[in-house]
Amino acid sequence: MHRLHVFFRICLLIAALPVFADHQSLVIVTMKTSPLQRLSLDALKRVYLRKSLLDEKGRRWIPLNLPASDSLRVGFSLTLFNKRPEEYENYWNEQYFQGINPPEVMASEEAVLRFIAMTPGAIGYVRKGSVDKRVKILNTLIIAEPH
Amino acid sequence: MRHALNVLVIALMSVVASPVALATEAKTAYQLGHGYRLGKTGIQLGGYVSSKLSGFSPRPWKFDVSDLSLFVSWSNGAKLNFFSELELEESISGGQEHGLSTRNAHVALERLYFDYLVNDLLAVRVGKFLTPVGQWNQIHADPLVWTTTRPVATENLFSKHATGIMLHGNIPFGEQSLDYTIYGDYSTVLDPLYETGRHENFDNALGVRLRYNVDEDLQIGLSYVDFNLLSIRGAPDIRHHLLGVDLAWTYQRLAVTSEIVYRNNNSAGNAANAWQGYIQGVGSLSKHFYAVGRYEFFEQTSNKLGQVGVLGMAYHPSPPLIWKLEYRYGVNNKDFAPDGLFASFSVLF
Repeated sequence: MHRLHVFFRICLLIAALPVFADHQSLVIVTMKTSPLQRLSLDALKRVYLRKSLLDEKGRRWIPLNLPASDSLRVGFSLTLFNKRPEEYENYWNEQYFQGINPPEVMASEEAVLRFIAMTPGAIGYVRKGSVDKRVKILNTLIIAEPH
Repeated sequence: MRHALNVLVIALMSVVASPVALATEAKTAYQLGHGYRLGKTGIQLGGYVSSKLSGFSPRPWKFDVSDLSLFVSWSNGAKLNFFSELELEESISGGQEHGLSTRNAHVALERLYFDYLVNDLLAVRVGKFLTPVGQWNQIHADPLVWTTTRPVATENLFSKHATGIMLHGNIPFGEQSLDYTIYGDYSTVLDPLYETGRHENFDNALGVRLRYNVDEDLQIGLSYVDFNLLSIRGAPDIRHHLLGVDLAWTYQRLAVTSEIVYRNNNSAGNAANAWQGYIQGVGSLSKHFYAVGRYEFFEQTSNKLGQVGVLGMAYHPSPPLIWKLEYRYGVNNKDFAPDGLFASFSVLF
């Protein structure tokens, strides 16, 4: 009876595991020649909510996103904001009314890297395995990527 | 030679066949509610349109395409931004007393300003902007609010616009932050379009607003403005003081907002002193349907304390679109918020 109880509890624990079982590293990247060396997660949140528009050198931030349906975007949003991208839709409507646009959406990680390599102030995120010498890493996030 | 040709062909094939090379770098296609960018000029066009219907009221029933707003914004990609909102009001209207017509149509300049970002904590705005009192006035566009009718407290005791200079910014404290705004209004000098007949316009004003963002689900605001109203210009110098507090709280599928304002003046009598406020709750019934309830109170100079309740539904099938239906009922409310059934459809474009 006791074993059955333990087995039942284990089953419950497995069932309660989040659907985001695969964890992976994601890197925050900017232009190779940027004077910035690191960006805290609080600062990153402000950049992606467009509350911070200039970096510490006074240059305009150009934050980049992947499409809202992209699993990396969903994982990034859940890890940084604890919310899915669609939960910010009303927020961005209000910002739009104030003349502030959401981050630019790029088609792919490679597009993010290409844009950042050529654009001062641009900042984005890609899988750690996708990063190369064209960009500089400012921080690393461990994200839970949805299945 | 042949080897070199093979390498070249393979290289070309890999570029041509690469899904990355085929993919669009940036997703620039027009999307409803996100505006339209004019290439790389830095100019963006957008806006919203709203149509309203009111009936079952002491007043005649009425239909109108009440707002057609056009936003034009521009950024130089560095520290300078421009934003303007031009509104065509009551472009088409009709009702119990007259047929469909455009005779009430008129154009209003809602906003026009330049923002200069001094640094990440301070921006300077010059031009015409929405008065930073409470929350509703600053996001009053129909697609962004949950009811067709507007709470009396968000427009009755102060001017909805100011023209002058504003210092504003956001100061972070770890995960929390403080939005601040300090502004001065000189409408009569700076706004060539100010209307002498509109009693709600500021003559001159000095105000401040603070909003403490406790977290993303809770914000508390405090507003103060000291002002003259255009309607009493030439009369003895009566300055009004308005103090407001507001709150926005979201918990799971429920959102609560509230604003309370108090206005007094420096004249001997206190007939113009007034308290007004509202509390509103919005609950999600399903993915796209929402129930809305609001209670309002408003002191008024020519009547007893007015009170109204609003009960309604909203259908929000996608972020830029919203349909609303509500019934408003109250006491001592015929001047500012009469009973009736109100419906509207709004879209951001």
